Amino acid sequence: MQPECKKYEEEMPSLHWGMDPVFSAFARLYIKDIKEMRESKQVPGIFFYNGHPVRQVDVVGIVVQMKERDAFYNYGVDDSTGVINCVCWKNPMVAETSLSGRSSTHSLTVLEQMKKLQELLSQKTKLEIGDIVRVRGHIRTYRQQREIQALCFYKVDDPVCDVQISRMLELPCLYREVYDRPFQGPEEGQSGLEDQNFSINMLHEKVKGFLLENKIQTFYQQELETIDTLVSFADGHLPSPSCQEVKSKSDCSSKRIHSVFKEAIRMLQEKGVVFQKPSSSKDLYHVTDHDKELLKVTLDVIKEDCRKPRHAEKGCHFLHVLSCVRQSYNPSLAEVVMHRVLELLESNSDVVSTMEGYYMAF
Amino acid sequence: MKLLQPPGWGALGKEGVLGQCHLAQQQLCEMLPSACVYYFPWEINSSIPEGEALRTFGRLCCYDLARSEAILTAQHSSAQYRVCVDTKFVEPFQAQLGSHYMVLGEAEHREGEGPVVKARILTCVEGMNVPLLEQAIQEQRKYFNERQERMGKSTS
Repeated sequence: MQPECKKYEEEMPSLHWGMDPVFSAFARLYIKDIKEMRESKQVPGIFFYNGHPVRQVDVVGIVVQMKERDAFYNYGVDDSTGVINCVCWKNPMVAETSLSGRSSTHSLTVLEQMKKLQELLSQKTKLEIGDIVRVRGHIRTYRQQREIQALCFYKVDDPVCDVQISRMLELPCLYREVYDRPFQGPEEGQSGLEDQNFSINMLHEKVKGFLLENKIQTFYQQELETIDTLVSFADGHLPSPSCQEVKSKSDCSSKRIHSVFKEAIRMLQEKGVVFQKPSSSKDLYHVTDHDKELLKVTLDVIKEDCRKPRHAEKGCHFLHVLSCVRQSYNPSLAEVVMHRVLELLESNSDVVSTMEGYYMAF
Repeated sequence: MKLLQPPGWGALGKEGVLGQCHLAQQQLCEMLPSACVYYFPWEINSSIPEGEALRTFGRLCCYDLARSEAILTAQHSSAQYRVCVDTKFVEPFQAQLGSHYMVLGEAEHREGEGPVVKARILTCVEGMNVPLLEQAIQEQRKYFNERQERMGKSTS
């Protein structure tokens, strides 16, 4: 499992992957992590380590298993944290033996050079159990097992383990400095407004997930601002306008967080995920999906009206339902909230949509 | 350096009377061995689980060809530690007494003796910077421990 993976359950949109340098690098990860990291929902073959999109990896390990196939070798590579299968294609140049046939004097040296190159290639790519190998390639899943499709691989001459030791010393630093640090998204300066919109967009998704998952019925904005995972998200993804005075910095950042949360909640209101009631406190928000009263009132309206002969055939129209609910429940109920309620009732099979905008209950 | 595959490793799945049996064997054949985790020679004792895949190192102090048994030794805080290695799977090999070796294999507990490492891979690494390797192993462990702690915190 990845550290702090909870924070990154939602992967960043693929449009932004390229901004993370890890994406275009050969990530030097432990084999254990390569086998355990989560595959992207958007693009199979891309994986996420701690929120970083990983497209290609670089491993060094000892060959512990070897199987020859017609066109490739399967090498089991062990780096002491895990073992992964590496698919290494045979080099056609090594297999080619036709070079010896031709013999014109002027090309002799070229031929010799070619032969030397072939020899070197086969030395570097013919591996046996116990050899140290370095493999760079893509990750793929074959028969439910992760493996590395080598783009390049070679035997590492490591008679006194220098290469392995220096990698073992290097990787913890690399992880601490790069892989374990969250990617700071599109940030700081560049195109401020767009970035901020992006952050707010992400936060609003995050808040929505939080409200639905935890079955929250009502909340105050301040309450959301005490949820660590949300705050750290809002904080980490925000462009920070320069604060002149250091002492006002924390003050400044809390104000910033407050405004971002406000904006995210406004977005949720616009989408009908949350709404306010004039009867309750002006800072209290209700979560549409969990407002039992609203669901019941709506269902009752539809049920009752469907008994009337003029609605019996095609059901009640949306606007009719809306005005009835407004009368009996909340005069300022937004249309979008009503839409969400009807969708929810429909997905629960409490109501049936007979035609565009008409609903029926039994 | 001489390396051999244990008997039966590659040979699995070549034949199969029943289709299903064949498939099962093929799957077995696809299976990768477990990762050989680094152990310091002084950590190889009776507390190691049977069959644990591990790698360790030491100076080859003796090799009994008849019994297919080699002893690696290592110094640690003024005590000497001995690791018994079963060399059946890696024979024949050129034993260079007094040289450093790295061994990968599985722990096996035998009656009346300490654990034995059944070697899959035994490599001469004479000239290796042992203190640096020890440091590297510590660094790797430290990193994974830190990570474990961080995870513990974030889930609680």
